[in-house]
Amino acid sequence: MLLISDAIKAEDLEIGYPNEAVVSKISFTLPKGHMLALVGVNGSGKSTLLKTLVGLLKPLHGKLVVLGLDPGKSPRQIAYLSQFHQSSFILPLRVMDVVRMGRFAKHGLLGRMNDEDEVLVIQSMHRMGISDLAGKPLSSLSGGQQQRAYLAQALASRADLLILDEPSAGLDAGGREIYQQAIKEELERGASGVVATHDIQEAMASDQAMLLARKVSAVGRGEDIITPQALLETFGIVIAIKGDHPGITVIEGEHGKDMEN
Amino acid sequence: MNWLLDPFITNTFLLRALVAGILVSISCGIVGTFIVLRGLAFIGDALAHGVLPGIAVALLLGIPGIIGAAAGALVMIGGISLITHRTRLSSDTAIGLLFVGMLALGVVIVSRSTSFTGDIVRVLFGEILGINNQAILIQIVATLMIAGTSIVCTRPFLLLCFSPEQAQVSGFSSCLYHGIMLAMIALAVIVSFQTVGTLLVFGMLLAPAGAGALLARRIEAMMAWAAFIGSLSVFIGLLTSYYFNLAAGSAIVLAATVLFFIVMASKNIQFARTQQTHKLDRSG
Amino acid sequence: MKKSILTSLGVALVFSILLSACQTNPQAHSGKKNIVVTYSILGSVVKDLVGDRANVTVSMPNGQDPHEWEPSAKDIETLTKADLIVQNGLGLEGGMEKALGQAKDAGVKFFTASDHITIRHVGQGEGLPTGDPDQAVGAEDPHLWTDPLAMEAVVKALTLQIKADLDIDVSDRAADLGSRLINLNQEITALVNGLPQANRKLVTGHESMGYFAQRYGFKLTGAIIPSLTTQADVSAADLADLKKLIEDNQVKAIFTELGTPAAVAETIGKETGVKVIELTTHSLPVDGSYSTFEHNLANTIINGLK
Repeated sequence: MLLISDAIKAEDLEIGYPNEAVVSKISFTLPKGHMLALVGVNGSGKSTLLKTLVGLLKPLHGKLVVLGLDPGKSPRQIAYLSQFHQSSFILPLRVMDVVRMGRFAKHGLLGRMNDEDEVLVIQSMHRMGISDLAGKPLSSLSGGQQQRAYLAQALASRADLLILDEPSAGLDAGGREIYQQAIKEELERGASGVVATHDIQEAMASDQAMLLARKVSAVGRGEDIITPQALLETFGIVIAIKGDHPGITVIEGEHGKDMEN
Repeated sequence: MNWLLDPFITNTFLLRALVAGILVSISCGIVGTFIVLRGLAFIGDALAHGVLPGIAVALLLGIPGIIGAAAGALVMIGGISLITHRTRLSSDTAIGLLFVGMLALGVVIVSRSTSFTGDIVRVLFGEILGINNQAILIQIVATLMIAGTSIVCTRPFLLLCFSPEQAQVSGFSSCLYHGIMLAMIALAVIVSFQTVGTLLVFGMLLAPAGAGALLARRIEAMMAWAAFIGSLSVFIGLLTSYYFNLAAGSAIVLAATVLFFIVMASKNIQFARTQQTHKLDRSG
Repeated sequence: MKKSILTSLGVALVFSILLSACQTNPQAHSGKKNIVVTYSILGSVVKDLVGDRANVTVSMPNGQDPHEWEPSAKDIETLTKADLIVQNGLGLEGGMEKALGQAKDAGVKFFTASDHITIRHVGQGEGLPTGDPDQAVGAEDPHLWTDPLAMEAVVKALTLQIKADLDIDVSDRAADLGSRLINLNQEITALVNGLPQANRKLVTGHESMGYFAQRYGFKLTGAIIPSLTTQADVSAADLADLKKLIEDNQVKAIFTELGTPAAVAETIGKETGVKVIELTTHSLPVDGSYSTFEHNLANTIINGLK
């Protein structure tokens, strides 16, 4: 339950590590129920910003208010999905165990779980289309299925703010549709979201987007700022595809390794 | 089948050894599960060997080795924290440095006195056949503490295994619970050196839990398997020690390692067989 | 996770209770009594005393270091099922401590040799500044078997205890053995008298010849650094100290013992020019006789210091 209107407010924020600033002069406001997409290649500062928002990294400079408090002070209201996961190939966890972990933040160390929690877990698995995998060990799942489980975990938390790092990575077309539907529903119930993504289409459709390339290239409404010109400046080469499957492709000039559709 | 149980029925000391070994297996099964899942093997090993100077000093001063071991463990954990927080060196390096430093310190202390060598060998390899009731009592307390802690900290521990970042963001201090986990490892090591010794306790931490990882689909099952396989190793080890005049502590750890490889082999055979069946299905 | 941890704890506890409850101790009361002696030299004397009126077993194989040797499970079983255990005492049997503890818990009767002799303490100039509690000045010396008269006192006391605890009378054999031990003492005394007093300086591996020296008028001129007996690592300081010791006291020979590394002994010999002679202080000769043991000891020392 949020009592303030803005989920996140950043002013002249500088993020990075103790001896290394990664991005400076970040300023934006994320109103409740809105989605911010971060666009940029690996190393551009997306993950760093997400980690700073959830309190894993300290801001180097400037002001940052998350859900009305300093970052990291409201665990019960934030769900975080990181890019990498440890040893999922030997971790003996079933899918439902993974999803249930999304409820831990609410109850803390010893608080009892009740029927309401179980219902949320079942619902989340259903929303991500993995109900039939509930009892299976995580290690027996494909990469895409595992990712759905992690997303279900985030959904189960019923958080006010979703911070997701490459949430659709590894998902097939069907998975991406399910994911987008789920996000839509979250925003509709009043949650806010910050999503780091390679998916330009997703970014264009979001309320706000931020182009990152170790600096803020542009920030504003997704549709407005993601133009071939802006992408060119941020990334390097841009190919605009017209015709049957119109879209924009970014080929990153400098690092030469990143290609996205 | 009498020969399986007779030695234990007619010899109280063997029975006590079995009980002590089972208690160690439970502790090591719980702690070992976390070590295997979180990749803490190196620090587990370092703790096991790094307590040597603490024990050496304690024996020198005539106080119980366990207290020295606890002190040694504290110094190691403290030293590792200090290095990782104050410098840019990885925890790998920090652990390695302290491990070797403490071990060398232990040997230097020991080299000043002959009456020691025997004692130190016993510290390294344990004296499970010499377990008395007081030692068993200490182990019961330690096992209860370890079990109790893992029950209370179930959620943060699970999260830590899954992703330390996730744990932090969910409101559980990664630092704090990692520290508690290390303390549990230290406790298991400290209490186990009486039975299998500091050199070998590491085997009791890894082999049964490793086998458990191959067999279990849930963490609780993994711990249960680890405790069971550990206890089975104790039983087999004590039996072979009795019938073939082998060093008891080492026989136990050897049994645990062999059991692990048996589990691994049978899993591989199982896997190969299912592959075969699939091939036949497809071609048929 | 909680449920299965609790379950396994419960199972383990129940298991242990059950096991302890059902342990039985079938005593075989038929046949001879079993006496177990911890080490070989004492064992030889006890065998001589008892003959075949009881079974005498020696725990340690001859030639093992009694300070270090550890018993196996079967060895411990033998100890816990003995009718009487004969031990040296004064911490000689370091590796057997826990095993002997098990036997005590099982109610086995004990005879401790050192209870029945005048205990010798490490004197000034004999002990070493190593921190080893056994070698510190004032420490009690457990190596009582090098003195035949000490053994005679032990035999007397043991005879009484065997009668009291096992109801076996060996007083006739005791009398015979006792007089043989007294004769042995006179033989050794005569042998030693052939060595001038000035030469009677003993530098040994560790404090093992104390009772012999006391009985036959030798001076223990500071034992060799103990790191030479069971350790592999000799410190530089220790080697230097030894050189000085040998020069100051005009020592003719140094005696190494069980486990002294050969290479170290050679080095000392070359550095100082003295003879390095191995002394068998902790194990019986091939014929298993105590008398031969004492004679060998005396002769080796006398020949080395002539």
